[in-house]
Amino acid sequence: MAGLLLRRLGAMVLVLLFLVVVVFSLERISPTDPVHSFLGANASKAAIAAERHKLGYDRPIVVQYVSYVRDLLRGNLQMSLRTRRPVATDLVAYLPATAELALFSLVLAAVLGGILGVTTAARFKGAGLFRFLTLSGASAPQFLLAELGILLFYRRLHWLPATGRSSLANAPRGPTRFITVDTLLHGNIHGFTDAIGHLILPGLCIALIPAVSIGRVLRSSLVSTMRTDYVRTARSKGLREVVVLWRHAMRNSIGPALSMGGLQVGLMFAGVVVVEEIFGWPGIGLYTYQAIPRSDFPAIAGITLVLGAGYVLVNTAVDILQAVADPRIAL
Amino acid sequence: MAPIENHRAGKTPRTTAASPVEDNTTKGAERELPVTGLGEETTPEPVAELDGLFVTFRRGGQAVPALRGVDLQIARREILGLVGESGSGKSVLGLALLGLLPVDPSPAVTGRALVCGLDMVRATADERRRLRAQHLGAVFQDPMTSLNPTMRVGRQVAEAAGTESEAIRLLDAVGVPDARRRVDAYPHELSGGLRQRVMIAMAVAGEPSLVVADEPTTALDVTVQAQILELLRHLCDTTSCSFLLITHDLGVAAQVADRVAVLYGGRLAEVGRATDVLESPAHPYSVGLLKSRLTLSARRVGPLPTLPGEPPDPRALPEGCPFGPRCDHHDDACDMALPPLIAAGRHPGVAACIHLGSVATTAELPESWAPAVKSGDAAPMAVRLLGIEKDFVIRHAWRTKDRLHALRGIDLTVAQGESLALVGESGCGKSTLLRVVAGLLEPTGGTVELGHGARPQMVFQDAGASLTPWLKVGELVGDRLRAEGLGRADRAAKVREALALVGLPAEVADAKAAQLSGGQRQRVALARATIVPPEVLLCDEPTSALDVSLAATVLNLLGRIRRQLGMAMIFVTHDLGAARVVADRIAVMYLGRIVEIGPAEQIVTSHTHPYTKALLGAVPAVGVARSPLRGEPASPLHPPSGCPFHPRCPIALESCSSVDVPLVPLGACSVACVRASASAPRPKEVTVASVT
Repeated sequence: MAGLLLRRLGAMVLVLLFLVVVVFSLERISPTDPVHSFLGANASKAAIAAERHKLGYDRPIVVQYVSYVRDLLRGNLQMSLRTRRPVATDLVAYLPATAELALFSLVLAAVLGGILGVTTAARFKGAGLFRFLTLSGASAPQFLLAELGILLFYRRLHWLPATGRSSLANAPRGPTRFITVDTLLHGNIHGFTDAIGHLILPGLCIALIPAVSIGRVLRSSLVSTMRTDYVRTARSKGLREVVVLWRHAMRNSIGPALSMGGLQVGLMFAGVVVVEEIFGWPGIGLYTYQAIPRSDFPAIAGITLVLGAGYVLVNTAVDILQAVADPRIAL
Repeated sequence: MAPIENHRAGKTPRTTAASPVEDNTTKGAERELPVTGLGEETTPEPVAELDGLFVTFRRGGQAVPALRGVDLQIARREILGLVGESGSGKSVLGLALLGLLPVDPSPAVTGRALVCGLDMVRATADERRRLRAQHLGAVFQDPMTSLNPTMRVGRQVAEAAGTESEAIRLLDAVGVPDARRRVDAYPHELSGGLRQRVMIAMAVAGEPSLVVADEPTTALDVTVQAQILELLRHLCDTTSCSFLLITHDLGVAAQVADRVAVLYGGRLAEVGRATDVLESPAHPYSVGLLKSRLTLSARRVGPLPTLPGEPPDPRALPEGCPFGPRCDHHDDACDMALPPLIAAGRHPGVAACIHLGSVATTAELPESWAPAVKSGDAAPMAVRLLGIEKDFVIRHAWRTKDRLHALRGIDLTVAQGESLALVGESGCGKSTLLRVVAGLLEPTGGTVELGHGARPQMVFQDAGASLTPWLKVGELVGDRLRAEGLGRADRAAKVREALALVGLPAEVADAKAAQLSGGQRQRVALARATIVPPEVLLCDEPTSALDVSLAATVLNLLGRIRRQLGMAMIFVTHDLGAARVVADRIAVMYLGRIVEIGPAEQIVTSHTHPYTKALLGAVPAVGVARSPLRGEPASPLHPPSGCPFHPRCPIALESCSSVDVPLVPLGACSVACVRASASAPRPKEVTVASVT
């Protein structure tokens, strides 16, 4: 276990260094000049040159890279060219909202995928309808899904809010910066249900596609597990079918679904950018959406690092879960 | 082994317990069929009773009957051996009794399958489940796949037994050593024999009325098989369970069963007391099965007697007697209707044949082989192995690794035209050695010398899997001709010739592997190996996946072809009966070493190594009591020091654990054992023995 964690940490450092290289290369290839956009369209040539020098953009890219990495190790992610605040400060401000939404979506994807997989594998009543709804949901583009959700559940039915993280005037700001958790910690049940309400629509938009992938993988591995000899053995003991499914088949089928879930996290991060913009969610997605047209490379590099680290962390968690589920996997 | 508690009539030794049971059962059969004419009706109800049971699957819109009107009773506290080849319907019968017939798609079932008074055909899923929980147990073939790999075995047994402490008691009772600690093990941490014991503990938990054991020993080594069979007999004698022992091997049934039922083409061919059916079989199929069995006394100077043809295709069963097409006594009357079970005549049981009176128990023997090729130092060699070592490195996570010592110093010479059998339990290195000779594996140490001629060719165990599915048989067989630079027409002619040699018609060349039967596929594999006759033919258990009646045919074919083409042959098998028949010499392997080697007949009759003795002692046979070898081979990861066999050896000396024993000539054989014989003038070993 410790060995796995060490190896994964090592891998994460390598992945992050590589990501920085990619972002720096992109910056060099990109035709837009970040300093130009930083100073505005009317800046004089001399002012631009001075600013270039001040920001270090006139140095060779390798030197820029080395100094970036050196700063990175001190926790300094440079200044954002757009917000003119340290990128680290921005990320701390925007990250909790995204993390809350991403985790909620991940749980939602796992739950929906689990239900989809189990019900279709065990041929429960209503599984067909559920499968139809999730599949058709997942086949629609996210922006369409988001607009339809807003039209139906906000405009027509008034069931769910359309924008933001909370309707509270003074939403609690701490200690975790997750509004759902913080409201609970403050005993504010109304605030909690309100925050959940805000999460449902964007969460669903992000979770549907991964849910269907997870569900289909889980279904096929459950179906093949239910045909194994040891499931026949379990049935020969006279165990009830629910017990057979839950106790004997589930743990042996969860592995492929976990792998699929881990891989889907990358797609979910991509989905977050679109969905946060549509729902006005004050998170990293929105921050990215605003950083890209301004060629805010320090910000983009910071976001890439955070998302890359998140991806590696989630997949390490997946590996650990798989080893927990199957004693034959040695860590 | 601790006795099982709560037994009702335990402590009764088998010999005395057996006779009333056998009486009951013949009366059970008689209730249905008055012709058997035996006494009064005082017997208790049978545990299970099949009554006109039909099970028909549908595949591709076609009816595929599995069982066609089976009437059978299982009496209390008996072991009923259900014998049949693949496709005979024996497993379907077991599943029907368990109420576990497939549901998707479910077969059409008529008739009754009463278990403890409940008809498993008509009962609801929940009723069947309750009955399984209370009155039924099951043991399946492969204990690795039949145990949940992610659940501790204690918990799996406790699911059936109720509590953890009961699970420990059961594991103890079925002979799992150190059960209290083993409950925390996962199945992959146990050996094959222990896994099967866990399965049996699960099956007998809660004292069920009937345990269905479907090929419980087929996946196990022969010494472990003998242990498991002994355990089943012991459980039957000391508890109130009945056992349905499903097997393809009459020998296994003979070993422990009170009664035997022979199934063929979904119909019962013969039912009777085990001793009766095995000693004086009435049905021509039983006669043929017994004759083609590879016993340790089978004639080996000529081809083995065989059953002609192959088991019937369930999609195209004959209207009359299913055995008709393969039967010597077949006439028009046989094809008129399905023969009913009638009094066997020869014994108090029943048999389904209208020519019972005229069935010969001994057929005339086929012709003898040409004189066997002389082996020995004089003959030119085909293969010479010197000091072969083979290690496999097993890598674990975090850079730890283990060395698996598969072969440890093998010296072996095979003469041209000679046939050598490598015999041993799984993990002894016999297949690894074969692959080293084939050049598929590079030895870690030592040298492989081959004579002249084409490189060795291999025939594998699973002929189906070793034939590329999308290629035609003609292409597969003719593949090796490309190197010979022959034209298309010449190649086709050669392929026809090779197919004819293995007894296949020329049309097979246009078929694909999936369209052929198991026996035909093995013939194709053989044709591929011999189209350019190699100097050495390597066979890796080529008959162990085949039905009993086909195995003899393939062995005959191998014997004929190797003599015809003058090939040497190395034949890997775990079956000493097969080894004795195909080989001029037998080499017995244990944990990567040859422990005894010599002429086949001598190895079987006058062996000296205690392991050879144990292997031979474990071969199931009719009417012979077995005293199985205890334990299982040590892991080749950590082979014991000194003689590898010493931890299991009944005659081991203290010195055996430290002194390395070389292979020493002793008469016609060579033996690696300190205690091989005092008569042999080998002062060093003798002194060691006398000191201790």
